[in-house]
Order: sequence, then structure tokens, then C-alpha cells
Amino acid sequence: MDLKDRNNVNVMGGGPATLIFSHGFGCDQTMWRYLTGLFADHFRVVVYDLVGAGRSDIGAYDWRRYDSLAGYAQDLNEIIDQFAIGQVILIGHSVSAMIDVLADRLVAGRVAAHIMVGPSPCYVDFDDYVGGFTLDDIQSLLDSLDDNYLGWSSNMAPVIMGAPGQPELGAELTNSFCRTDPEIAKHFARVTFLSDNRADVSGLATPTLILQSTDDLIAPVVVGEYLRNTMPNSTLVLVDNVGHCPHMSAPGACADAMDIFLQPWKSLDAQR
Amino acid sequence: MPSDEAQQLDALALFENAPCGLVVTKEDGTILRANLTFSQWIGFSERELCDRRFQDLLTMGGRIFHQTHWAPLMRLQGSVAEVKLDLLHSERRTFTVLLNGVRHERANGVQHELALFSITDRDKYERELLKARKLAENLLQQKSAAETELRIAQAELSKAFEDAQKRASFAEQMVAIVSHDLKNPLTAIKMSADVLAQGERTARETNLLGFITQSARRAERLISDLLDFTLVRVGRGIVVSRLSLDFHSLVRQSAEELRVSFPKARIVHNSLGTGTARLDADRLHQLIGNLVGNSVTYGDLEQPISITSQLEGGMARLSVHNYGAAIPPSFIAKLFEPMTRGADAQNGVRSVGLGLFIVREIAKAHGGRVSVSSDEMSGTSFTVSFPLS
Repeated sequence: MDLKDRNNVNVMGGGPATLIFSHGFGCDQTMWRYLTGLFADHFRVVVYDLVGAGRSDIGAYDWRRYDSLAGYAQDLNEIIDQFAIGQVILIGHSVSAMIDVLADRLVAGRVAAHIMVGPSPCYVDFDDYVGGFTLDDIQSLLDSLDDNYLGWSSNMAPVIMGAPGQPELGAELTNSFCRTDPEIAKHFARVTFLSDNRADVSGLATPTLILQSTDDLIAPVVVGEYLRNTMPNSTLVLVDNVGHCPHMSAPGACADAMDIFLQPWKSLDAQR
Repeated sequence: MPSDEAQQLDALALFENAPCGLVVTKEDGTILRANLTFSQWIGFSERELCDRRFQDLLTMGGRIFHQTHWAPLMRLQGSVAEVKLDLLHSERRTFTVLLNGVRHERANGVQHELALFSITDRDKYERELLKARKLAENLLQQKSAAETELRIAQAELSKAFEDAQKRASFAEQMVAIVSHDLKNPLTAIKMSADVLAQGERTARETNLLGFITQSARRAERLISDLLDFTLVRVGRGIVVSRLSLDFHSLVRQSAEELRVSFPKARIVHNSLGTGTARLDADRLHQLIGNLVGNSVTYGDLEQPISITSQLEGGMARLSVHNYGAAIPPSFIAKLFEPMTRGADAQNGVRSVGLGLFIVREIAKAHGGRVSVSSDEMSGTSFTVSFPLS
């Protein structure tokens, strides 16, 4: 199986270290388009689609392998082995922040740093832990996905009613974004929203930047604080933003925080 | 010609009373305007709505869907079409809408302009469709699961069949080899004993030679039983070649030979009726030998063992009778099964209990059957009945 096809891997830019961007639930690598260009001058930038999402090879979707986030983490390590050069910094949105952590745990020492955008180690409330959701909420999401079965088909080939302000966006991108087989989307939703990675993040010493929106339904600020408290080398930066995708709706603020965090790896280049 | 003002009034009326809900929000979802149709559907006045975010009017599932799907789509693609959502009415009941939305960059910032269509009935229909689809998928899954299981079972079965065939053919070969290899030395022993018996012998020597001959014959019978048993077990069954012959004289000849084999027993032969029967002579000798051997082992040798051959009503009937202890009733049921031995035959006279099993198989191969009656007073009697043709 060719990894490039399986995960629709795309590489751009160049530099002494490699940034690997992993998209979150519901989307594909297109969501990183406001950030990747900003870092390609100083880093090797790798973007890819999780198997089952975007333009990945849907035929490679193994229902058992992807029945837990560990399957995606194995994929990511394969991508690191094949496409990364130098130190590796993983940038993960939402559930992919946890896929990044699992990949780090699987191969100790391979990952130099993490940048987590809207991460959550566990979406469901447990005892003292506040994830923000009850099991009923998650069930309601799964029902919504079910209900939108017919709606999904239009997302797969959306009617373009005019995209003012986005002239650069071609039909090619439009057609791949959010294109997901409904059954795979439901499976991924179940795996994502019912996962509990609190034990995996606990004590993780890899340097980590946590980017959290000030108003995010899916990853509330308390979850960001929980992560900062449980990971000894982590920094929490709040981005003034409503919604779960600050890298899309507030890319400037995200890029600023990332730029500061990434200085040590950038300076490697300058020292040469 | 209507004035500009009149046209604007018309536009406003069209907006407020449009046959769909119209909502304008900021990029973060904060509602800037909502038309009358929408506020009537949702049960909030426009003023109440303007303090809220559009996503707060959704069910929890819808909110997550908004965050993970259509909000990013609006940002990237500038529009969404036909997203189905459940809205929460002010009285907490839900109602279903289809949403189309466009993102516009206006002078005062980014706006999302949403049109909503009530689709309560279509939703019901879609749910029915979805239910039917799920049912069909479940059935398909069950069917393929059953087919997979069937394939596995068939593979196992054919493997088992193949193994059984191999074992059977191996057993046949073994028995053929063993019986052949044993028969030759036995023949040599018998012939040598016969030659020795022709010379002058003391009474003791004659006695010993008799033992040698009897033992060799018994060994021959056991080998033959073992061979037959194996053939039956591997499914071939006992093969008979039937010829028309004088039933009584066949039985008489058998009785004479058995008197030599069992000198301690008193064997009598009675015949009733006359005629011929189609039988395999060798098999019938074997059958009678097994029944008489059985009587010698378990019967009372102080009293005669009687063999009766009878031709009557299209049937040939043969019975062997002895006196002595009765066969326990609990034992009768499994008497003809292989490896069954009489409780008082522990002295090693008979090795394996194949004799009666072979009797039954020979009877079956002739289209006949065997029965037994046994009690303390009248003794034990085995009766084999064959159809004449």
C-alpha cells in the first residue's frame, strides 16, 4: 500500500524540521490551508487525510484497525518514517491531537513537540472530570449524522451558491472537503467522541503548545486547563475565538502563538 | 409606477413573510436579523432572537455537527446546501429544517445568510427510508454472516469426510495386511499338527495336538470376524455371494465340523421341512460357528446344544439353543453391538465380542434378521430368519 495514496500525503516547503498537520473529525487537510503557507519557508510541511476522510483511499478503511485511535496513530508513525526529515513536530486539531499523543507514546523520542488545536482527551464527563458532554449528547450527535444521511450527499457535491471572498477556492477543493462515506463518518464519530485518552496525556513530557478557543463547545477552556495541568512541559494559549476551528476563523492569532513556540526549531536553521 | 419607497416596503414584506425562515448572523453565529416566518416557527420574537447565537437554537447533536462540519464548510467553501437540522422551539419541542447558507463579506464584516425550510413531513418520510435501509442492511449482513458460517461448516465437513476416508482406508489396509500375515502361519500350524497326528501318538500327545488344532481354528475365526467388523465399520458392509443350496445339509455339515472343534460340547441338529435356500455357504458356516461358539462359552455344557434348521412359509430359519444362565434383560439390548461381552466370560476364552455383531451383519446381508430369547427355565435361543430368495 502506497502511503501517499492511502493518506493523500502532500509535502511542501523545506527546513531542518518537519511539521506534520493532522486534521480533526468532519474535515480533511484543506482546513490547514490558512496556516501551512505561513510555515513552509522555515519548515518541511506535511499534510495528509486520515483514512476514511477527504481524498484518502476509502478502500483502505479497515473497520477493525480504525475501531480505536491507535490505528490512526500507527498510520501517522508510518507517515513520519517515510516523509519526515529532522525533528518532528506534530500539529493536530481536535481528535488528531490525541492521535498525535498516541503516536508519540508508541515510538518514544521520535516526536520533538506537539501543537494541539482545540484538543480534548475525553469528551464525556466522568466523575470530577469535565469533558463538556454527556453520553446522551454524543448519542444525539450520532443521531444527527444518521439524520443527515441524505444531506450528506449534497455535502459531497455541494451546490456552489457563490463563494464571495473565496475566489481562490476552486471546485476541486470544494468537492473533496467533508466528503466522507456516512457509515465511516458515524464510525469515526463514535471512536472519536467515546475515546478516553486521559491516561495517555498524563505526564507526557514532550514540549506541547495547547491552542484553545475562548468559546468552544467541543473543547471548553476547562479541558485546555486540564491538559496543561497534566502535561509537565505544556503551555496553554487561549485564542479569542468562537467555535472549534480557531486555525480557520482566527488563523493569525494561531500562527503568532505557533511561531513563538516553534522558535527553537527554526533557530536550528539560522545557526547553520 | 410604484415609487422606490413602495418597492422597498414590498421587499421588507417579502423578507418578513417569505415562505421560508431567513436569518442573518455574524460569523460566530450571533443573530443579526431573523424574519417573521422564522420567529413564528421558533417561538421567539426577533428581539429575543437577537441576543442568541444561531447554534444555540440547535439540539446538542446539531451543535456538534455545526462545529465540525458546516461552520468549517462555510469558512472554506463560502456556502452550504441542504444541511438537515433539528431546531429547538421555545417550548423545547424540536422541529426539522433544511438549511442553505451563504457567507458574504459585507462592509460591516462577515455575514452568514441562512434560508431554512420546514421539512417535518419530508423528515418523517426520510426516517422511514432510513429505517428500511437499515433493516435491509441488517438482513444483508445476517445473510452474508450465515453464508460465511455455512461455507466454514462445509469446509470443516469436507475436511472431516476426507480424514474419515483416509482413516477408513488405512484401517482396511491394516486389517487386510494383518489377516493375511496371520493366516499363513496359522495354516502352517494346522498342517503341522495334522501331519504329527497321523503318526503313533500317546494319549497325552493326541490331546495336545487337538488343543493346537482347536486354538488355530479359533484364531482363524477371530481374524475373519475382525476383518468383517472392519469392513462393516468403514461402510463397505459384509459381501455375500448367494447360491441356491440345500439348507439342511449345509447346516448338518456345519454341525459336524463344530463337533470336531468343540469336542466337550454335545451338539445336536434337527431339521424341519425340505427345500433349498439362496445363501452364501461360507458366511452361513461362519454364522453358525459364531452362535455355537457363543453357546459353548456361556451355556451349560452338561446339556446339549441344539441347532434347528427349518424351511417354512418362504423363510429359512436357523436357531441355536443352549441351557444355562439367562442373559440379563439389561444386556439384551446391546447384545449385537460390537465389543459386547458376557459378564461371566472373563476367563479369556473369547477375546473381543465381535461374534454376535458379525451374526447380525451376515443376517442383514442376506436380507434377514436375528432375534434372541433367554430365560432361566427354557434357556437361551438365537434365531436367524432369511427370506428364501
